[in-house]
Formats: sequence, C-alpha cells, structure tokens
Amino acid sequence: MPTRRTFLATLAAAATAPALTWADAGSPHYLAAAREASGAYALFGLTDRGEDLFRIPLPDRGHAAAAHPKAPEAVAFARRPGRFALVIDCVSGRVLHELEAPEGRHFYGHGAFIADGDVMVTPENAFETGEGKLGLWSRREGYARIGEIATHGTGPHDILRMKDDVMVVANGGILTHPDRGREKLNIDSMEPSLVYLTPEGELLEQVVLEPDLHKNSIRHLAQTEDGLVAFAMQWQGDLSDPVPLLGLHRRGQAPVLCQADLGEQLAMKGYAGSVALDATGRLAGITSPRGGRVHLFDLDGGFVESLRRQDVCGLATAPGGMVASDGLGAILGIGAGGVEPRHVAEGRSWDNHMVAVRG
Amino acid sequence: MKYALALCLSLAAAPASAGVAEVIDDQIRPNLAQFAEATAALESAAEQDCRAEALRPAYQSAFDAWMGVSHLRFGPMEEGGRALAISFWPDKRGMVGATVARLVAEEDPIARTPEEFGEVSVAGRGLFALERLFYDEALSGYGEDSYSCALARAVTYDLARMARELRAEWEDYAPLMLKAGEAGNDTYLSDKEARQALYTALLSGLEFTADQRLGRPLGTFERPRPERAEARRSGRSLRNVILSLEALEDMAEALADEPIPVTEEAFDTVLAEARDLDDPVFAGMEAPTGRLKVEILQQLTQAVRRAVEGEIGLQLGVTAGFNATDGD
Repeated sequence: MPTRRTFLATLAAAATAPALTWADAGSPHYLAAAREASGAYALFGLTDRGEDLFRIPLPDRGHAAAAHPKAPEAVAFARRPGRFALVIDCVSGRVLHELEAPEGRHFYGHGAFIADGDVMVTPENAFETGEGKLGLWSRREGYARIGEIATHGTGPHDILRMKDDVMVVANGGILTHPDRGREKLNIDSMEPSLVYLTPEGELLEQVVLEPDLHKNSIRHLAQTEDGLVAFAMQWQGDLSDPVPLLGLHRRGQAPVLCQADLGEQLAMKGYAGSVALDATGRLAGITSPRGGRVHLFDLDGGFVESLRRQDVCGLATAPGGMVASDGLGAILGIGAGGVEPRHVAEGRSWDNHMVAVRG
Repeated sequence: MKYALALCLSLAAAPASAGVAEVIDDQIRPNLAQFAEATAALESAAEQDCRAEALRPAYQSAFDAWMGVSHLRFGPMEEGGRALAISFWPDKRGMVGATVARLVAEEDPIARTPEEFGEVSVAGRGLFALERLFYDEALSGYGEDSYSCALARAVTYDLARMARELRAEWEDYAPLMLKAGEAGNDTYLSDKEARQALYTALLSGLEFTADQRLGRPLGTFERPRPERAEARRSGRSLRNVILSLEALEDMAEALADEPIPVTEEAFDTVLAEARDLDDPVFAGMEAPTGRLKVEILQQLTQAVRRAVEGEIGLQLGVTAGFNATDGD
C-alpha cells in the first residue's frame, strides 16, 4: 500500500509526467480477488512472492480482473451474474470509474483491453435472448459504452487479446437468466465454442468439439506468445465420464484435447477452474479445486504431472513457471518439481483467478 | 463434564490438532489396519480356493472394511488413482464390466503376473472387478483351472497390495497432518489446513452417499434407476450406505472438540431409518412408496451434512472449500 508521502510524491510526478506506469503501483506481478476473514471482498495487487502491495475493497464477490497493458489501471469484475465493474487506479487505490452493465446485460467476470489499451472489452449475457455479446468501452471517454458485437455463442466467459487485436472468446454454451440465479437452463442442448473475432465483429474462426463433448463448457483461456490458445473446460455431464478438461488450439488447426490416465482424469471431478501456461513455454496447467489438483501437460497434449493442493483454483504464468492461489489463503509456486508455498494470508480465500500483470 | 473439559482445553489454546490426532488414532489407523487385514485374508483365501462361491464371504468382509476408509479421499488414497483402483464406482459407462469381459475373453496374460496387475486400467481392478467375477452369473461359474481363477487371484493380490501400501503410506502422511504448520511442511501450512482436509472428507463422504449411493438409484420420480445402485450385484447397496454413515459418524465425533448433539441426532435419525429399510439393493424403488423411502434416506443424509456444517464447521472455524463448492 503506498504511503501518503509516496502517494503525494507520485501525484506531483504525475503533474509533470502524466503517464504513470505499473512501476508506480509498486509493480504488482498479479491481481487477485478474495474474500477476507471479515467476510468482505477485495481486489489485491501482489508481489511475485504473493505479498500484498495494495488492497481495494469490492462491493461484492469478484471473479477476475483485466490489467491495462501500460497504465497502472485494472478493471475488477463482479462474479456472474453481477453487473458491476470497477476501474481502479492501482497507484492510489482509488476507484476511477464504476461501470454498470447496460440494461438487459450482465458481466461474466472477465474482460480484456484492445486498441493499445484504448478499448476495454467485456463478455456479456444479453439475457432476454440468451445471446453472447462483447461490450466495448472507450477508456479515453471515461469508459463510455461505445458498442457491442456478437460472440456467436451462448455464455461468453473468458476473453483474451491476441496479436493484431484478434480476440479469442470462450463461449461456455450455458444459458442462464438472472431471474433464475445461476441455474443452468440448457444443459441438454448446450453448444460451447471457441471463437476468434475482430474488433469489428467479424467471425474469423469457430472451434466446436465433437458432439459427444457438447456438455463440456469451454470456460477459461490462456495463450503463448506465438498464438497457441489453451482452453479449460467444465463438464456438465455425468461425473463418472472421463472427459478432457484442457484443450490446445492453434488457428486453422484441429484442437488437441489433453487427458491424464483414467484415475487422475476422474479425480479432477469434471472441473477445471483456471488455466495458464508456464514461463518456459513448455507446459500448460489447469486447476481443479474440487479434485484438489493441478494437472500439467506438455504443449503436444501429453500428461506430465499431477500436483495436490486443497481448494486450489487461481493459476497464472510466473517467472520460471506458474503460480497458484487457493481458498485457504496460500499463494503457491507451481512447476514440474511440485508445489512450493510462498505466502499465506491467514483467513483469506483467494477467488477463482490470478491475473498476471504485464506492462 | 466432557463439555467443561473441552471448553477449558479450547480456552487454554490446546493444540488445534486435537481433533486431527483423534481422527487419525481412533479411526484412520485402525480402519486402515482392518482394511489391510481383510484384503490380505481375501488374497490368501483366493490362493486356497479361487472359486466365486468360496470367496464371497471374504469379499464381503473386505468390502465392509473398505467402507471404514472409503471417505479418506486425500493424501495416500489419491496416489496413483488408488481410490478408483480399489473402488471404481460410479460407472455409468459400464467400464468395469467391459474391462473384465475383455480380460476374460482375451485371456490377457497380465493375470498370470499378479505383481504387475497394477498396470491394468483402474476400471479392471479392485472390489468392482471382483464383484463381476464373484456375482455376475455369466462369469462366476469358473473352475480352479480357468483363466478367471487366475484373474481372481491377481485382482485380490493387487487389492491387498494397495491396502497394505495405503496403510504404510499413512504412517508417513499422518505426521504431516499432526505437525501442520511446522517449517518444511509444504503439505499442511497450518493446523487449520489439516482440520479442513478432514472436515472436507467428512462433508464429501456425506455428499457422496446422498448424491451418488442414494441419488443415482433414485433417478427421477418418473424414472427410478435401481439398476444404478452401488454394488447391487453383491447385495450391498443399502449396507454400504449404513456402514459409510457409521464411519462418518465416528469421524465427526473424533474431529469435534466439543459435544455435537445436533449432528449425533441427525446421524441417529438417518441410521435408524436406513436400518429399518428392508430393501438391500433398492429394488423396491420401482414402486412409488419404495422410492419415497429411499428419498427420505437421502434427505436425512443431507440433513446430517447441514448439521455438521452448523455444528462442527462452526466449532473448528472451517467451511467447505471456497472454490471447490463454487463453480464459475
């Protein structure tokens, strides 16, 4: 947390050099939402060791966040079907803008910046029709809503910006309506997909899995620098079905689905919470809080290792490997060598995701 | 008196692992020993006489012993898919039947080297593979010199080996739970984490009985599915529910630091109802009244779960996994 003095000094510096960078925010390596011991919710900026750099209160349970590529600014999103998003100045800890999803829309907890950080994009549910949308918000106009495009699917959840502002979106396929809470309304007919879109809304490519995997909700995304997309899935069918929970996709090719041996695969309980790629560019990881496991695969889809940790869920790229967070307050180094506890915030429960900050 | 003592201990900041040590000493160690002994007895019985009829009593004892530990699905139980290799259920896709049928049809030579049988798919091993051999009429008529005889010996050998290893590995694992939070312990970073692991196993065990052991055969009102009951071939569906609830009650009592009257009453209620039910494999489910009785059993099991959360969860300051119980 910046002291008053450093804060004022930062402000003074800002007057002459208005372009603050992530270094001014203490250079957090990660952003993560949590429930605190008191029951309150907050977003934290963390060092590479998992120690707190700043804490920003949230009005309700968070999910993930989007970090601006250059400015020390992050957008924290409500967990679905929440409708708030807070634009946060990570230097001062101030909320710069409180965004609300437009009438008839709610967020899914994720977002991304495109156009060199000038436009923020939010996956949304147009819940009267059930169509997936991407909301577009102009940062330079104070995050004014400037439009939306279709995701060509239902339940768009995670989004990543790729090279040339191509956006890859995970259409989870699950229809929900806020009037029915988080109830899933279309399991028998759900059709998840992975889509690549331009900012203008052009559908460049759509990936759909085999029909017997139509209940495998494509939910979370990670990517390598050279354009390999890793997608994590959540199975909505019978828990005794051994189905892949991680897919790897490169534009123009068929997806590679990754599975461990039968016993390990079933132990994931059909649920991957987060996905990340390691810093060496050799491994992809998924977490299952239900199975208390992290599964690591090589990028050809081969199973490498299963690591154990109760209630583990958040996962992000870290120098030398990956880093994970769990519901017991721990931040853990993850690699083919195992799990290395780095920091524990007593009484804190880290929520679903860790977001690596680059800038 | 017990209450006053417990209160004093908690005020005196007793080692928070009190409940953890009790669960390990009163339940986990003795029940794992029992399971290892029962599966060893089954293995030696198979060496004497491998035929189905001869092995059914020892099989039933081994399965009984499994119910005393089947809820310990963490730590050593999770190594190498062991829980599923011992007990591959639920099995909606019929993988056990298919795997055993394939082994028998092909006379897969792996059965001739029992020490390597662990390489077989988890669906072709353990209690449910044996259930096919011992209780499926299409398979159970085998004689002493048959392939199935060798297979029965290999599966019982493999099962006894897993039970033995499970017991041995717990001797290394227990100190991690008892010395939670000590330097160098990367598995349990605090006492609370060790309590949380046991508490989660308790809740998951109750959930498994409610959702799977009872929920699967319940199906829907329009379409009950008694054929999906656990271990129905060996006539154990209801018995497994009762034995598991008994083991979970023991665990709850050991884990709690203070009296748990609400939880005990909830266990007593569901166990009385279950012992009263004259429907060992839930076959009576086809009739609406029969289904209703099983549904009541399910509701009472869910009530136990709520009692545990309200009483033990509060006492220990733990809740079900924050992310594990979420979905997003």
